[in-house]
Amino acid sequence: MNAEQWLKERTYHHSDFWDLKKMVAEKERQNLKISLCLPTLNEGATIGKEVVLLKSALMDQYPLLDEIAVIDSGSTDDTREIAASFGADVYLASEHLTEAGDRRGKGENLWKALYLLEGDIICYVDSDIANIHPRFVYGLLGPLIENPDIHYVKAFYDRPLAFSQGIRPTGGGRVTEILVRPLFSLFYPELAAIIQPLSGEYAGRRGILEKIPFPVGYGVETAMLLDIYKDMGMDAFAQCDLDTRVHRNQETIALGRMAFGILRTFFNRLSSHERIHLKGELEKIMRQHRVEDGRFEQVIYEIEEFERPPITTLESYREKFGGGA
Amino acid sequence: MRAASAKPGVYPVTGTVEDGSNGSHATPAGSAPVGLLADLPAQLAPMREEMLANLVMIGQTPAPTGGEERRVQYIMDRFAESGLPDAGADEAGNAVGFLPGKVGDRTVLLVAHLDTIVPASIDHNATVLADRIEGPGISDNSLGAAALTMLPTVLQKLGIELNCNLQLLGSVKSLDRGDHAGLKFFLDHATRPYDFGVCVEGVALGRLNYFSIGTIRGDISCRVRPVESRSYGSESAIVVLNYIINRILAIETPTRPFTKIRIARVRAGKSYDVDPDKATLGFEINSHSDEMIGRVLEQIEDIVSEMSARHAVDADLDVFFRRTAGGLRFSHPLIRSCVQVMEGLGIEPDQGHSPSELSEFIARDIPAVTLGISEGSKHHDKMDYVMIEPVMRGIAQLVGLLLSLDRGDADSAAAS
Repeated sequence: MNAEQWLKERTYHHSDFWDLKKMVAEKERQNLKISLCLPTLNEGATIGKEVVLLKSALMDQYPLLDEIAVIDSGSTDDTREIAASFGADVYLASEHLTEAGDRRGKGENLWKALYLLEGDIICYVDSDIANIHPRFVYGLLGPLIENPDIHYVKAFYDRPLAFSQGIRPTGGGRVTEILVRPLFSLFYPELAAIIQPLSGEYAGRRGILEKIPFPVGYGVETAMLLDIYKDMGMDAFAQCDLDTRVHRNQETIALGRMAFGILRTFFNRLSSHERIHLKGELEKIMRQHRVEDGRFEQVIYEIEEFERPPITTLESYREKFGGGA
Repeated sequence: MRAASAKPGVYPVTGTVEDGSNGSHATPAGSAPVGLLADLPAQLAPMREEMLANLVMIGQTPAPTGGEERRVQYIMDRFAESGLPDAGADEAGNAVGFLPGKVGDRTVLLVAHLDTIVPASIDHNATVLADRIEGPGISDNSLGAAALTMLPTVLQKLGIELNCNLQLLGSVKSLDRGDHAGLKFFLDHATRPYDFGVCVEGVALGRLNYFSIGTIRGDISCRVRPVESRSYGSESAIVVLNYIINRILAIETPTRPFTKIRIARVRAGKSYDVDPDKATLGFEINSHSDEMIGRVLEQIEDIVSEMSARHAVDADLDVFFRRTAGGLRFSHPLIRSCVQVMEGLGIEPDQGHSPSELSEFIARDIPAVTLGISEGSKHHDKMDYVMIEPVMRGIAQLVGLLLSLDRGDADSAAAS
């Protein structure tokens, strides 16, 4: 399947999966278990609505999900209490898989979710979505339930709408368009067909997620795409248009640090995939500037991008889920 | 004004009613999984997230007066999902659902207005906190609409099959100049008689309205004439409106019967350096006496005519909302039923008048009440909110009242 074919055949819209009753019946026929993971860090303003809406629609009314779990990085607000009060299973990441130690970052929570949750399919949805709707989940699960050849589904949000001067160009956010897509175009042109590679919503089969490493920080989304692509090619992927997503907008300076983390992950993958040869370790320090009393100061951030190994390498995981590393 | 206690304590939902009879229409609900009224909130607890989800989804769907289509569609989808055999939009655009009763010899109409005063351009996203849900228009009346939407599911999950028909109406064009247009249309084109009406409002739990005081609402608009008058010459429309307001405030209103003129809204002006050529005043007159309202209105008409002539403006009075005083007596069995249900659920009844949809039932001699679902607030200038904890008690109150009406507790007065 070339990129054009893939784009045509593997790009869905959430409305393709409006018939939840049918989806639940198919899920039951396949005897699938499905888990939803909501990674959190101080999301008290949005987590309540996410749990209420998703549990009501996708557990109580249409039992598409078998569990909804909040995996928290140590929130200091009432994120965990709110999520629990509306019926989510709540885990503090640092209290689980303690033998592997404790790292802070979204990727850490996603990785530990593989151990804590039971699903054959794990759906990850960010917890800061102001306009949360069940489509954010069923749109990602639909392709996986419908097509056994699909192993990983990525969300995108911006639809190409016709307007007076032709077609509005579609795409992702700033980091996607000025960093990730150019990198994909240079080194992995097929992956450039993924409209929003950095979106925080995706779903995958346990069989593939348990075999890939998880950077704990900014690079987790990029690494997932590169690693699954290396193992299975484009045929493993699909993407789904979930319409509009409203969330916090980050300042450009913060996106700079995000870009640094992604670049570290990307170059490490290029090196391990033997696409380039690095003559040494990549720097871990991101340098930015600020003005203090009329003078420029350099601000230093250490962005290590620690990676968790494939979770099947953990004995406790193998004991729980079987299989070998 | 607080209601006197009719009969405190737990009120049986099943079996024998207060007068010792089981009522000619008593629901054989003994087989239903509903024990005592006081147990209802616990039985409803597993439905809380579904109720709150409906509240959020409805609250996040903009519904300014005259623009309620998306909210109507959402409610009709939920009615269809819950298996309601008859659901659709009527010619006025109302969301209409009908649940036929096993006997069907009486019909209860539950109505919640769907429109809000919030413009569609405002961000409607709701926030779910540990104890409350915040969002524009969430209390008035997204919560009432969510309660109405949830009712078929609630009855189904509790295993309740009513003998009476249940007509559900999400009404459109209710507020301001909408003037209850949706409900009026529905009642004026009704295909069956309605024995009781229940108006569902988001706040406040305990609210028990069963009468309306007389109310009129109107706008007075002043437009400066393009050609200067031979008398005084043109003045700023705001200045002329100010003369009118001062004259209205000088009208003497009696304390008995209670009568009040409310100067509620002024709209005028474009910029600091431009004399406005148009100004509008919105006002309301309330009274326990329709005659007194008529007298005050006559004086306002005179003031507007005089000021128009004196100050070279075209001044118009447009009265677009009229409600006559009236309603049920406290001794009416419907009110007794409401009080008993409330007290059985530990809800303290709080009586008062209401200018809401209730007046449309009163005008058509249909016994009706307005009830609230939860605590909360509609601030208009701050974020509206509703408290989560009381919500299922508010729903239990609706279920309890339906069961009471189904047993025939309020029938004697309905017939009178």
